Parts: sequence; C-alpha cells; structure tokens
Amino acid sequence: LMITGWSPFSISMWVAVWASLAALLIGTALAWFLATRQFRGKWVLEGATLLPLVLPPTVVGYYLLVVLGQQGIGPLLQTITGIRFIFSWPGAVVAATIAALPLIVQTVRVAFASISKEMEDAARVDGSSLWQTLWYIELPLAWRGILAGGLLGFLRALGEFGATLMVAGNIPGRTQTLAMAVYDAVQANDIARANTYSLVLSLIAIGVLIVTLRISRVFEDK
Amino acid sequence: MPKSDPYTKHNKTEGEVNRWTCEFETRNHSQSETNKHHSVIYSPGMYRLPQLSPLFLILLILTSLVFQAGCAPQVDDSIQRNDQLTVAAASDLMFAFQEIAELYEEETAAQITLVFGSSGLLTQQIEHGAPYDLFAAANVDFINRLAEQDLVFEDSIQVYARGGLVLAVHRDLEAQGVTLADLRDPRFRAIAIANPEHAPYGMAAQQALQSLDLWEELQPRLVIAENVRQALQFVQTGNAQAGIVARSIADVPEITWTPIDDALHEPLDQALAVPRLSQNQALARDFAAYISREAGRSVLQRYGFQLPEGAAP
Repeated sequence: LMITGWSPFSISMWVAVWASLAALLIGTALAWFLATRQFRGKWVLEGATLLPLVLPPTVVGYYLLVVLGQQGIGPLLQTITGIRFIFSWPGAVVAATIAALPLIVQTVRVAFASISKEMEDAARVDGSSLWQTLWYIELPLAWRGILAGGLLGFLRALGEFGATLMVAGNIPGRTQTLAMAVYDAVQANDIARANTYSLVLSLIAIGVLIVTLRISRVFEDK
Repeated sequence: MPKSDPYTKHNKTEGEVNRWTCEFETRNHSQSETNKHHSVIYSPGMYRLPQLSPLFLILLILTSLVFQAGCAPQVDDSIQRNDQLTVAAASDLMFAFQEIAELYEEETAAQITLVFGSSGLLTQQIEHGAPYDLFAAANVDFINRLAEQDLVFEDSIQVYARGGLVLAVHRDLEAQGVTLADLRDPRFRAIAIANPEHAPYGMAAQQALQSLDLWEELQPRLVIAENVRQALQFVQTGNAQAGIVARSIADVPEITWTPIDDALHEPLDQALAVPRLSQNQALARDFAAYISREAGRSVLQRYGFQLPEGAAP
C-alpha cells in the first residue's frame, strides 16, 4: 500500500482521482437526499456539507490529524484495515475528499433540483419504486451535473494543499503532490521547478474547467 | 398540445416504466415550445444525446479506474525495499545533506529521500507517526523530547555537528561587515528569521537579538519564516533586506553575510536519532555512521559546521 519514489505528478493524479471518486459517490447521495427529501433539521446537514468550504484548510487538517492520528482512532483503523492514514497517501485522499465534497454536493444538487417534480410524481404514480425512479429518471437526467460536479471535485482535490500538508506531510516520492512541490520549490528558491509545476497545475485546471463548463451548459440554456 | 397532467394520462404497470419514459420525453418535447418556464429540463440539447442510463456513469468510473491503474507508475508496493531510506532533516542541512546523501548513494546501493523542515515540525510529525527512518534535528532538545516519549532508539542518539548563525544581507544593499546593531537602520525594512516557536535557528536568532536588547525594537520589522531555509529565501529574493540564518546555508550568490558571535545564543548542538517507527533501522544507522565518518565530516565542515571533539572515526 505504501508508495515510494513517485513523481509529484503521479501522486497528485492518484490522490485526486481516488478522492474525487469517493467524494462523487458520497456527494451524489447527499445531493439527491437534499434535493428530493424534506425532513426536520435538514439545514444541519446542508450546513455540514458546506463546512469544508468555509473552514480554513488547516483547521480541517488539524481535526483529521487529531482523529486519524496516533492519539485518535489511527491505531485502531490500522489494525482493522491495515491502512495508516497519517503521513501516507490514504490520508491525502481523505483530506482531498473532504475538500472536494462541498463543490460536488452543490453542483449535483442543482442538477437534481432542476428535474421537474411532475416527472418524478408521474413515475411514482405509474408504480415506479424509489430506486427505479432514481435509476431510470433522475440519474439519467442529472448525469451532466453529476459529471460536472465530479470534474470540479477532481480539480479541487488536485489543488488541495493545507489540510493535506498537515495530514499527509510533505514527503517527496510518497505524499508530495504537485501543489506541495510548488511550495517546496519556492521555499528552496528553485524558480525553474516552481514554474514547471505551477504551469502543469494551471494547464490541467484550465483544461478540465473548459470541459466542465461545456458539459454543464445545460444549466445555462436560455 | 398534449395534456400535461401525468397523473391521469398515464397509468401503466410497473413493468412498463421504461417504455413510458421514452413516451414521456417525446411528449414533453413539443410541450417545451409553449411552456418556457420548464425550459431547464425540456432543454432541446438533451434530446440530441441518446438516453443515458446510470450504466454510462458507472462505465465512466470504471474506465477512469482502468486508466488510473494503467498510468500508475510500476512500483512494487508489497515489499519494503531494504535500500530505501527516508531521512527527515532540519532545514539548515539542506545543502550539506544533499551532498552527503549523493556521496552515500554513490558508495552504496541505497536510495535516500530527504525531507526538510523545521526541527519542531519534524518532531511533531514523528510524534504523530511519520514514517521517517532517520531524523537529524538542528537542536538536540528536540531529539531529547522524542527520547523522553520513547519514540527514538536511545542508543542511536548522536550529536553530529554544532551550527552557527550569520547575518545575511541582500547583495543589492552593497553592505559590508553589517552587525546585528546595524539592523536599527531603517533601510532594513524587513528582517527575516525562522519561526522561534519551532525552528532552532529562529530561537537562536531571537536569543541573539534579546542579548543585544534589539528584540523589542526590531519586532515590527521581523518577518517570520516557516523554517531557516525559507528565511534565507526571503533574503535571496530581496523581499527581506536582511535575515538571521544558518551559516550552513548562507553560501548563495544573492547575499553577503557576517558571522554572529556564538556567545549571544544557546549552542546549536545538532543531534540525530533513529525513530522507533523506522522501517529500515540497519541502513539508517549505517547512514548516521557515514555522516560522522571522514566523508560526512568533510562535507559538514565545508558548510561551516563545527564538529564534535573525538567523534567516532
């Protein structure tokens, strides 16, 4: 499970893909729940999904360090799953997942909310189960939003720095992502390296953003 | 225009849900021209695409996973290779340790990954279980702190060098022989030091300024860097006009420097130890020994470190 000797690019990609997939799964479920259900105390769940967006990343990182660390449930998790989260890539994935979640929930929620209630009701009247409605009606109609959310989450995970630094450390070849490599290169006054990594990150961000905007154009149709 | 009430129009059985979806869409397409307020769902753009099932999404995820596996570098994760060494080192060792690690890699088959940071940060990381095989701190106090918690092997503790402080000034100021007292001059608008909270060279810088009663006065112009390497970077880029940094990293083209009297601060006795979580204890001990042998000593000396008397040959 341990990775050694990877380039910052490989580590970034590895972490961001796993994190955005995890966040997409959790985020889509949460978004569907928030968009279609009414229940007491809903605002608490809504607020909770927004929290990682407004909390300083260092605070998120600190909480994760406390929870997943040696003094927290870290040793227990390691016994059960064999995975150590602190100062290893799974920790970076957890941090990036949390960072990506709010963006995904917001985007996917809009997609679910824009499906007309009549359509769902019609399906229900016609005897479609909750699961069938989700599977045959809601997910097919919301796929653009889900994909756009996933891509935005991927970018956010790729750019995650603060919490990841605290949880996963900044270990070259193991947990040093592109974002951290930029920080390292600037500290070491290595301008060439800082330029290269910054350019790579910028190009990925711009490229994926263009794709995302094209996919989500359904929101902008007049 | 078709009737828009789905409650009465369609009452089919469960099995027909699929077919019904298609019918429903065709019907709504014509409706969209009249019902503008529903334009989001009835957007014509959507019907240019084939009916997409969630299967598509799952396929997409699977594809990305396959892609992921395909592009992942081929590294043997299962075996901890016994020639890999991750060394956490204080920032003042950046230049010296890069050189020593290169020499060691040439002589042995070992592959060394160096992680630099302030001694306090690295200590805190080890306390949280960071997977470092060897830790070289800039101050023996941090090693002792770990030893008290039984997080390092007591018998591996070794003082390998004593560091010194210098006053670094950006070359553009064309200042010669600047002393700490000269920092009162307002042309030193920003003075960089490492964070005294967790960086030994920052603590020493604070002590030196306090010894000369300059600490309070210079406080407003002090810029606190994360570690001593970053303090140097602030001066290198000219964002700080002066900085108090380690002698061992001061030989860079952008600055001139003058030494600071050792008597002004507590000695910077630098010590190393092998953490208990080290995954390659034998190699870590061997590299530690290499540092205090001739090759390592000569490099450390060249970077201005004082070496302990009578260290192991």
